[in-house]
Amino acid sequence: MPIETTDIARLAQILENSGVDTIEIEEPGLTLKLVVDTRSRIAASASPAAATAPVADHFVMAKADVAGHFRAAHPWQDKPFVAPGQRIEAGATLGLVKIGLLYAPVVAPTAGIVDAVIAETGAMVGYGTPIVRILPLAASDPLN
Amino acid sequence: MIEILSVTGPASIQDLGRFDQYRFGVGTSGAMDDVALRAGNILLGNDENAAAVEIPIMPFRLRFDRNIAFALTGAAVEAEIAGRAIPPWWRSYARAGDILNIKAMSHGARSYLAVGGGIDVPMVLGSRSTQFRGEFGGLHGRPLQVGDILPCATSTAAIGEFGIEPAGITLARPNAAADESIVRVIVAGEYDAFEATAQELFWSSSWTITPQSNRYGYRLQGPAVKPKAPVEKRSHGIVPGVIQIPPNGQPIIQMRDAQTSGGYPKIATVIGADLWRVGQARLGGKLRFEQTAYTDALAAEDDMSAYLDRLRTNMRLVEEAGTCR
Amino acid sequence: MMVPDRPRISLLGTSALLFEAPGAFDLPHQRRIWALAATASKWTDIREAVPGITNLMLTFETPPRQLDALIAALNDAWDTAEGLAIGGREIRLPVTYGGEIGSQLQSVADHCSLSIDDVVAIHAAPLYTVFALGSHPGYCYLGGMDPRITMPRRQTPLQRSAGGSVSIGGSQTGVSASPGPSGWHAIGHTSWTFFDPSWPTPAALVPGDTIRFVIERVIR
Repeated sequence: MPIETTDIARLAQILENSGVDTIEIEEPGLTLKLVVDTRSRIAASASPAAATAPVADHFVMAKADVAGHFRAAHPWQDKPFVAPGQRIEAGATLGLVKIGLLYAPVVAPTAGIVDAVIAETGAMVGYGTPIVRILPLAASDPLN
Repeated sequence: MIEILSVTGPASIQDLGRFDQYRFGVGTSGAMDDVALRAGNILLGNDENAAAVEIPIMPFRLRFDRNIAFALTGAAVEAEIAGRAIPPWWRSYARAGDILNIKAMSHGARSYLAVGGGIDVPMVLGSRSTQFRGEFGGLHGRPLQVGDILPCATSTAAIGEFGIEPAGITLARPNAAADESIVRVIVAGEYDAFEATAQELFWSSSWTITPQSNRYGYRLQGPAVKPKAPVEKRSHGIVPGVIQIPPNGQPIIQMRDAQTSGGYPKIATVIGADLWRVGQARLGGKLRFEQTAYTDALAAEDDMSAYLDRLRTNMRLVEEAGTCR
Repeated sequence: MMVPDRPRISLLGTSALLFEAPGAFDLPHQRRIWALAATASKWTDIREAVPGITNLMLTFETPPRQLDALIAALNDAWDTAEGLAIGGREIRLPVTYGGEIGSQLQSVADHCSLSIDDVVAIHAAPLYTVFALGSHPGYCYLGGMDPRITMPRRQTPLQRSAGGSVSIGGSQTGVSASPGPSGWHAIGHTSWTFFDPSWPTPAALVPGDTIRFVIERVIR
């Protein structure tokens, strides 16, 4: 029986409520791994002041949309996809999440300037894990 | 349709090959890196034998005349679609009028451009591969030229953009140095016509791939490996991967466009699971041969199949996830 | 150790196997090869049975897990193979000997200590039988060449030799159907179409057909 999206959403809710950060389900021909990013949860609850800091308002976060291992560069390329200070277009590939043999791109939600690559190469990331912090183009360059 | 805007080397249309026409003297042709071709087609949900463009020398530029999904596999290339960079072994998409620009190749020897549905040239004698010697198959049986229009089959492939792990990483061989490929071989009919010292030279040498290497064969340079006495064989069938030793003692690996028969003594044959590694070995690079038993060669083919099976399974998961959204 | 009266069977990697018959390069042996090819082509896992010169290549659909069984079956089939006599057509091929394409005519004469006229006369005398097709699309290997004009293959193969070249390689002769690399010595040329992929059978000749070279001209 294939797992439906609604099942995944329900599973994610259960994880969220129970404080468990990972669940893995294996069936023939299918492995499902859900990872809840507890760091953001902890960060959010531990320092509510940081979330409302004036600078943070300007940033947009590019997030992972699958669970896997983050790579800042393609293994065949020396240079990472992006570096701080680099101007990017909306839709640009900012990094990869390796899941099995698949390399899922982390995509820029907006045009802007890369402020920081937050995730470290090799780190396990999950759905919603912040990967790259972007200063949106409109905020960084009001003339544009 | 695709219009070729710029082409530097003998780019050609290839599928997996033409395998059952030996009795008419027709060789297999087909992709020099069959694993990369299969992977590109798997990425697009194509038949794995769908035809693609094999590109040996950059730069290479083309324009798509309609919205279409495509994949680049094989060699590591620096490529852009409508100005967006495309990582290696990647599925992407083009909008009508977009230009694909493959600028440079950082390692490997051949890049494969597969498109959703495949390049739709006519099937000739069971294959769409270009038969250069016979001047048929592919596009008019010849390498691609500027201005050529390649017909593409229609396809319903999704346009999600993502990549896969290159075969060269998953199937990496131990002890392989940069720019030296180690390929496994099974000894062939005339191996015993060489003295032990000549055999040893064959195994121990790091062979240089000469500029006279191409889809017909890889001509290697190194110490002369000579048989005990000159060997003049009656002509017999040969297949891609056969390593012949002509009288000058310099090995020639027969590749996809090789003659279907020959008479020079054969010292060994590259196993099916490693032929793509030769196809991705660069001119001026090095090759080393490693002796393998038949049963181990079959196990190596199983490893290759397992990689492709994992790709297929991974892709099915992506498709299922995609249809849920 | 060489056992001269038994066939030799060797692997061509994981995709094919080569069977080499013992004995002479002659029509009776070749007829047994044709018979063996007809038998082996029906076996499961065998994609094609491709006759060469007194040898046979079997290409695999998938590499057999049990090689021993296949080898035993081949040996048995050879031992029981009756010569398959194929009654083919006779083709007359006009040949211009020597000239730019047949530039090795003098070398063959020198190598064999014969005059150019002798080489041409000896080459054009026999009725040749198409033993096998191979090398490149439509190319025919011919049996029946007089051993007096034998010349070993080139030290280093040529990257390109002309289409229609009539050549000698070792104790064999043949006519190239299209331009391409060759390790043989061209002594003449002919203009004839040997192959067309749009024909129902793409090659003009089949094993068992015969060829007679007609001396059209000799360029010295």
